[in-house]
Order: sequence, then C-alpha cells, then structure tokens
Amino acid sequence: MAGNKPRGSSFSRNFSAASNTISQIPGLKHGPNGTMFLSSGIPDLDKILGGGFTLGSLVMVMEDPEAPHHMLLIRNFMSQGLVHKQPLLYASPAKDPRGFLGTLPSPMLSKDEKSRDRDAEQEKGLRIAWQYKKYFGEQNSELQRDGKSEYCNDFDLRKPLERHFYSGQQIDCISLQDSADLTTFHDRCSSFLSQTPRNDRNITCAGRIAIQSLGAPQCDFSDKECDMLSFIRSLKSTIRSSNAVAVITFPPSLVSPAFSKRLQHLADTLVSVKAIPDEDKELAKLLTGYQDMVGLLSVHKVARINTQVPTILEATTFSMKLRKRRSLILECLNQAPVDGSTGSSYASSSSCSGSSKTGAIDF
Amino acid sequence: MAERICRALRDGALEGEHAPALTIKDSIQSPFGSLVFNHVLSQLSSFIVAQKSQSQGIVLVAFSRGPLYYEEFFKSKGNDVASSNKWIRVLDCCTDPLGWRSKLMESGRIANLTLGTSTTASLYKNVKDLDKLLLAITELGKELVGDGKGRFVVAIDSVSEMLRHTSISSVAGLLSNLRSHDQVSCLFWLLHSDIHETKAIAALEYLSSMQASAEPITRPVNGQRGNSEKLPFLEQNLRGGKIHVRFKRRNGRVRLMSEEFCIEQSGIKFTPISSEAEMIAQSLVPKVQFNLQLSEKERNDRAKVVLPFEHQGNGKTIQIYDGRKSLNEDKPEMQYTSAEKVQTVKDSGRGEIIYFRDSDDEMPDSDEDPDDDLDI
Repeated sequence: MAGNKPRGSSFSRNFSAASNTISQIPGLKHGPNGTMFLSSGIPDLDKILGGGFTLGSLVMVMEDPEAPHHMLLIRNFMSQGLVHKQPLLYASPAKDPRGFLGTLPSPMLSKDEKSRDRDAEQEKGLRIAWQYKKYFGEQNSELQRDGKSEYCNDFDLRKPLERHFYSGQQIDCISLQDSADLTTFHDRCSSFLSQTPRNDRNITCAGRIAIQSLGAPQCDFSDKECDMLSFIRSLKSTIRSSNAVAVITFPPSLVSPAFSKRLQHLADTLVSVKAIPDEDKELAKLLTGYQDMVGLLSVHKVARINTQVPTILEATTFSMKLRKRRSLILECLNQAPVDGSTGSSYASSSSCSGSSKTGAIDF
Repeated sequence: MAERICRALRDGALEGEHAPALTIKDSIQSPFGSLVFNHVLSQLSSFIVAQKSQSQGIVLVAFSRGPLYYEEFFKSKGNDVASSNKWIRVLDCCTDPLGWRSKLMESGRIANLTLGTSTTASLYKNVKDLDKLLLAITELGKELVGDGKGRFVVAIDSVSEMLRHTSISSVAGLLSNLRSHDQVSCLFWLLHSDIHETKAIAALEYLSSMQASAEPITRPVNGQRGNSEKLPFLEQNLRGGKIHVRFKRRNGRVRLMSEEFCIEQSGIKFTPISSEAEMIAQSLVPKVQFNLQLSEKERNDRAKVVLPFEHQGNGKTIQIYDGRKSLNEDKPEMQYTSAEKVQTVKDSGRGEIIYFRDSDDEMPDSDEDPDDDLDI
C-alpha cells in the first residue's frame, strides 16, 4: 500500500502551547508545511494522500457515467464529517437532497476493526535469526496501537448512520435543480464558509462542503460553462481562506473537454473513478482479486499547499473493493501470477510485463 | 439477452433507489429502434397482465405515433382492448403537441374533426412545458395504480421528438424526476442517435441504467461508393442487425452483451450471436505491480518456518543443523561437529529447510560450509 511519509527536513515546526489544542480536536491533525488535514472517511485514501484532505483545498472527483462510485466517496466524506461534528453543506441535482442523508453509512464498531488489523508499515514481531541472540535479553517489539482510529473511521456501508449523529448538527442541503443560475448557491456557500474562517486564533472546527454531480444535465446552468467556472474559482479562493474542504464531483463525459480540463487544473486534489467491465476474462487473467473489485480509483493530483514539492505516489491507480460487502478498501493493482504454460503476453496492456513473452527460456 | 432487459425492467426499482431506465438507440443504418421499443412494450404488457411484475400499469407517452397505432398494436398482440383500460394509459402528445389544432378549431378555421379517440388516451397539448408534462404523467399513473404503493411503468415513444421542442436540460430533468418518483417502477425510451448532438446523447446515457443500441450487421467500407456494391449491405441491414446492450449493474460493474435480431412479419426476433466472437478490446489497465502482500495462508506458512538460532534461550539444548539431510530424518546418522548433545526434535507442524548439496560424492566438509553452525 502506498503510504507516503512526509518529506523530512531538518526543520520541524514548533507547535506552541496554544495550537496544541488543535490536536485535541477530533478529526483534525497536523500535516507537513503548516497544513492541517481532515479525514476523507476512507482510511486507505487518507494513507494514499498522505494524511487526508488538506484544510483549505478543493477536491475534485471525476465521475464515470457508468458507475456510481463517486457516491461512495461522497457518502464516506459526509459521514466522517457528521461523526466528527463538523458542519456540512451538501448540494446535488436531485429535487430532494435531504433524502440522500438517509443513505450515509455508519462507523463500524471497534471490535470489527480489530480483525482488519493489517498494518503494513510495522511488522508485528519481526523474527530475526541472530546467532548471538542467546546472549541478549528478549526484545520487546510490541506494536503500539495509537489512538489514530479516532481520526478516520471505517464505515459500514450497509448500516445507515444513527439518528444521534444528525441531531444538533448543522447540515445544509441544497438542490441544484431549482436555481437557474449559480448565484444563490454561491451566496449560500460563502455564508457557510464564513463560519469557519482561517485566522491566527485557534480553530474551533472545520467545515465540509460536498457538491455532487456539478454539470449534470438536469440543471439549467449546465451549459453555461463560464458561469460554472467562475463559481468554482471563487469557491476555491474562499475555501483557501477558511478552514474547510470542498469535495466536488463532476461528469467529464457530459461537459466539453476544455471545461473538464479547466476543472482538473483548478482542483488541488484530483481523483477519478472508473467502472470495470463485468466478467471480462482478460482482466480476470491480468489482475488478482478481480472478482471482488467494483471499480478503479486513480489519484491524479495531490494537494500542494505551502510547498513547491509535489507528492509523487508509487502507484496512482487503485482497485476499489468492498470488504465483506461493507467497507470500502483501496488496494494496489496486483498482477496475477503469469501462468508459465500459457505464456500469453500482456505486454500490450500493462507496462511492466515486458519480460513475460511466450517461450521457455532455458539457461 | 433481450429477455434480460425485459426482466430487469419487470423487476423494477428497489426501495429508495432510482428506477431502472432503458435507452433504446438506433440510427439510419439500422432504423429498428421502434421495433425494439414495441417488443419491450409488448413483453412488459404481458408481464403486467399476468401480474408478474412490480408495476401494475403502463403510462405510454406517445410522441411519434398516435394512440390509434398503439391500439392496433395491442390488438395484434392479442391483448383485449376493452380490458386494456385497466393497465394502460396513453398520453397523446402526437395529435396536437403544441395546441395549434385546438386553437384553430376554436377560432373556427377548421371543422371539428373528431378523430377516433380511444378511452385510454388523453390529449396533451403543451409539450414545451415539461413540468406540466411530468404532472400529467404522474397523474395518469396515479389514476392507473392508485395513490398508495402501486407502481407504474413509463414508456416514452420518442425522446427525439421531445428534444425537438425543448432543451436537453429540461428533458434530463424530467427523466431524472421520473426515475426518482416513488411510484415509477421503471422507464424506457427511444432515441434516434444520429439526429442529436453527442452532448445530448451522452446526457441521456448518463441518466439511463441500460442502453440498447441497434446497429447494422456490417458496415459498408467507406471506400465503396458505387451503388452496386452497397446494395447487398443495405439489404442485409434492412433485414436485421445487431443489438448491443450495456448494463450498469448495482455493484458498479458494466456488463456488455450482444445479440442479433432479424425482422419478421410478426415483429422482431432475437438470436444469440452466431458469427465470429467479437472481442471488445479494452486496454484500460494501468500500470500494475507485483503482489507484495501475503495472503492469510502464506502468512501462516511463513510463521511456521524454523529459523536457525531462534529458539536459543528457550531452554532447549542446542542442535546443530548439518545441511545434508532434512530435519525430519533420524539424527544419529548425522555427523557431529561438536560435543554438544543433539536431540531429535520431531515436530511435524513446522516447516523445513531442505538443502541439497551440489554433489553427493564430495566428502562433507563441515569446516567450509557456513551453514553448519546454524542452530535450528
């Protein structure tokens, strides 16, 4: 799994006593270069992105018209916000967006989490064969369980979120279909973001904005691409100066390529989801775990705030699987073992199998 | 596979989910979309009459063919016209879509021509206003199935006609509102793909969960311009074609299927693809890596492997491993290099390290072999 360690430097940020209270706030943690992270709701995605979504960034998700995977990302994002009591703004092209709140997943109980302990970073009880071991005492190599489970919850997609998470919460739901243009929506976003401004004082909480399917054909403003672009630009600048994260999904196949490219450039973090064909024998031969996969997720860009150093990921495409049909996990794509007898070459479709040509090689 | 589509439509929507929606596409090369539409319509109507489907009625929004055509159609299929009142309503947007006829009749310009109206049809005169159309459809549906839990199917004769009068965003709004309506079980519509912009077609495909496109069996190569060479293609394409279906499944995977169809007197008949299998080559696979993770079984096996020196300090005596034989054999036959006691440890649950020397003729030179003082 691609776990990014932040670039170490000889300088380390001095967290003053006042700002130490930030780490007490659940749902936020310090990131590199003076940024703060909030969780995306999917533990694997947080690991891939190096900690989560950076506060003040704009996350764009490119949809695939043939699969609803972007809804999984939005659902986990919103649920995480509700679990951490962060104010939430949700907009969608449906007539009744409040109905979507009923489909949000519930966090998994901790006893289920323990069975999922796959810490790839630390090997528990690494067995070392050492000749002089008998002269030294037993080393205690115990795995520390840190309380990181608070920051990002594993969500059970089959269980709906309990009612007590909704009560007393600020959740704004906006239907994009009603308005003929984006000005009213823009005003609502601005007023939402003014609740979580960024200033030198301590931050109290962070806000989340989730916009689903911007540019869907049902909305009247979908062909006014200039208006949508200026809306996104001003949203991005407002978000930069506030403690919030906005996740916006849009269907690139329904908008013009120029608009799609502009949106991709505007994003701080860019992710795309893709559907996979069902019962495709070629893919089943090529990838392990094809049966469990529901889709592919690609990370194109990771937010680069306060730094010029880009984050280069080991792998950019991950398979989306539902573990026990409940929680969403992302895994690296693994090539299936090449069957020596068939020796069919996959060289055309994957870049790292140049050597798996046909023919037995005798030494 | 056409059966599959009809079955998916018959099963309808789950609670809290959008209704399944089918787009039937055709083009001038294979203009049989309306026949496919009729086929789906007759299948669904037979399911409804036999009470095997989730829905109890059909609301047919007729844009390109009038209600009389459908009466004839259902009669030819053997459905009783009199009882069809119970399960079908036709919203007639074909006779007078913009209300011109009634305006002319009011002003007395034309005589009041009473067209043979059927009891199941209601005239709709304002196709430019899609909100009212939505209301009319839902009202008709409620008339059919009542207000409670009943569900109905919506069939739109031709979305292409709708797009003539209104913009794609309002049509998309109508369709998505129908999909999310509680009482709609499923919907399907016909679209002629070559008369619209790609954007409109993409929007409609985005809204549908199944797409069936009728395509010609063979396409004439562009180089052939002479009529004499095109005729056999035309003939073949007029007798039948292929239908490609894309299903968007609930788990997010897309199933692609194809069938052939041929046009007969009684309608359309579907047969599975006979000729050479077409491989839909999709090389979408990005860079893949080799699997560096361990499965459960592999992890267990790894835990069982006996490493040298591992058990030192556990209280057992030291046993030097001599690399010639595997662990489970009798120890007295081994050569001892030291005076330490050796115990045979028979542990069938542990893994072994099997070491084969290059040649058995050599005298065992334990001084040179570094593995000899490994202690298992």
